[in-house]
Amino acid sequence: MRFVLKTNYDQDVKVFLHNGQRFWYGLLALAVLLAPLVLDRFYLGEFAYLYIWAIAGVGLMLLVGYTGLVSLGHAAFLAIGAYAHAWLLTQGVPFVLSVPLATAFCAIIGYIVGLPALRMTGIYLAIATLAFERIAAWVIEHWESVTGGHFGMRVPDPMVFGMSLDGPVPFYYLCLGILGLSLFAALNLLRSPTGRAFIAVRDSEVSAQSMGINLARTKCTAFALSAAFTGLAGTLFSHRIGYLAPDAFTVQTSIQLLLMVVVGGLGSLQGVVYGAIFLGLLPQAIAIGRDVLPQWIGEIPGLEPGIFGAILVVFLIFEPLGIHGRWVKVRLWFDQFPLYRRATYKRQRSYLRTERVR
Amino acid sequence: MSLLEAHDLSVSFGGIKAVRDVSFTVEPGEVFSIIGPNGAGKTTIFNLVSRFYEADSGGMAFDGMDITGAPPHRIAELGIARTFQNTELFEHESVLTNLLIAHHVHRRTNLVTDLLFLPGARRQELDFRRRVEDVIDLLDLQSYREQPIGGLPYGARKMVEIARALCLEPKLLLLDEPSSGLNPEETEDLSFWIEDIVAELGITVAMVEHDMNLVATVSDRVMAMADGAELATGDPTEIQNHPDVLRAYLGD
Ligand SMILES: Nc1ncnc2c1ncn2[C@@H]1O[C@H](COP(=O)(O)OP(=O)(O)OP(=O)(O)O)[C@@H](O)[C@H]1O
Ligand SMILES: [Mg+2]
Repeated sequence: MRFVLKTNYDQDVKVFLHNGQRFWYGLLALAVLLAPLVLDRFYLGEFAYLYIWAIAGVGLMLLVGYTGLVSLGHAAFLAIGAYAHAWLLTQGVPFVLSVPLATAFCAIIGYIVGLPALRMTGIYLAIATLAFERIAAWVIEHWESVTGGHFGMRVPDPMVFGMSLDGPVPFYYLCLGILGLSLFAALNLLRSPTGRAFIAVRDSEVSAQSMGINLARTKCTAFALSAAFTGLAGTLFSHRIGYLAPDAFTVQTSIQLLLMVVVGGLGSLQGVVYGAIFLGLLPQAIAIGRDVLPQWIGEIPGLEPGIFGAILVVFLIFEPLGIHGRWVKVRLWFDQFPLYRRATYKRQRSYLRTERVR
Repeated sequence: MSLLEAHDLSVSFGGIKAVRDVSFTVEPGEVFSIIGPNGAGKTTIFNLVSRFYEADSGGMAFDGMDITGAPPHRIAELGIARTFQNTELFEHESVLTNLLIAHHVHRRTNLVTDLLFLPGARRQELDFRRRVEDVIDLLDLQSYREQPIGGLPYGARKMVEIARALCLEPKLLLLDEPSSGLNPEETEDLSFWIEDIVAELGITVAMVEHDMNLVATVSDRVMAMADGAELATGDPTEIQNHPDVLRAYLGD
């Protein structure tokens, strides 16, 4: 059993709690940094794709996992980030400027989408964000002069100081670097007042207000930040697919994003990475399933979204803390063996909403 | 000048007049208690002061400032902290995080400094952490520090909620039935802590309480209510023997 002796408040502020963590995360960092030495072109591409999903996941996690606001419209932010970035590139804006500009644009849209969210929660918010996603999709389809409408648009190569980052290795490092920065920024948020305000709003709006937290501003900030990270992922996504067309961003994309954070584990940044890995492996698993199972099963229409939905529901019911939550429990079991109490993660008596405050 | 001054507050829900024309003041440095049978409107008074409810009529001033139309988060910024009758903590987080959240009112950083965790943000975190520890020491919560709220016994939750309110470093502390669910020993500890809070931290306390023993021990003044209206206000013994108050509790 590990016991961390704290002798300094600095230790509560640090990113890594103890040397063991530093060692394992260091090893992981080394592995992903050296991966291009051993992986071939295909796998590098797949990893870069996984990193892009994880960046978008950081954004959605801040909103769903930390602020407690559901969004079924995040595919729109991915799309807006991608289109804005591609359009800026075609206008001759350099890559290093275009990425932050597109990200900022998404943040503004996110803030505006957050405004109606002030009065909604749960299923109503999910429907409202879904509606927003549909509107964004409609605009993208019809604003032909900018987006190319149904025909779509080609995305210029990412050029940084005259160097193309389009090759598998540079693009891998680009995505990895931006994922690293995104995770670091999110970690920073969560150990400072902004992130704690999100958490407060998630757990109790009434209490949050009595702690001096401005609900409206906090929710809008959460939406803006969430949209910014997802839009940032969108800028990379545009290079990954090379050619933008409306059918690249659908409701199913939104559901996949939600699936990622729920399966990974709401309320944990590690969960984002687990969720992205899960999402990366899922199509392979489905493909294998198709080969093994009788043919008529594979031919059921809407099979894939159906599977996504089913997994989402199963996780929400049986493992609401996701893969990360399961991992924490397993680790605790080993840590405390043979003293683990089964009830550790059982909630104590909770009080009915109606019994509280009002 | 009174710290909190409320005049002619009224509010009704549907047909029920939960509070009718209640006026009271809370003086700096005192312990002011509100008593009354269930449904008298005590919690509603707190919710009016916290600005969770909109008063139908009447007004309130805190520290000389009109707060009748202030948004709820502004109330905390001005220096009024509160606890809730059935505890309202941030369930999924540790005691430490709960207390750190309360320091939101003292924040000096903004979104950008937080995102980059610039030196100012780090200094602020260390400062908050130190101040949280002072409160943990004061209320003897050391053993719960890193525990998630979800697993705490009820009595501990009550104390954590008081600790969280103290972390706001308020001028006025509103306690809604702080002793409910506590055993007699914990209740006795509570009376000492309330005295400490007033004497050492210089915080004024207004509380809703059913335990007359506790009320008599710590209060300077008591207001009795029934059916949304004020019955009498005065010192504890006076109120305990007031004919209207006895009638309200015992029935006619
Ligand atoms: N949000 C609300 N909606 C409807 N009715 C309410 C609301 N809040 C309070 N009331 C009503 O106002 C009256 C006073 O309630 P309040 O909670 O203030 O009583 P209390 O004095 O705190 O009682 P207790 O000792 O049981 O806590 C009750 O009749 C209650 O049903
Ligand atoms: Mg009450």
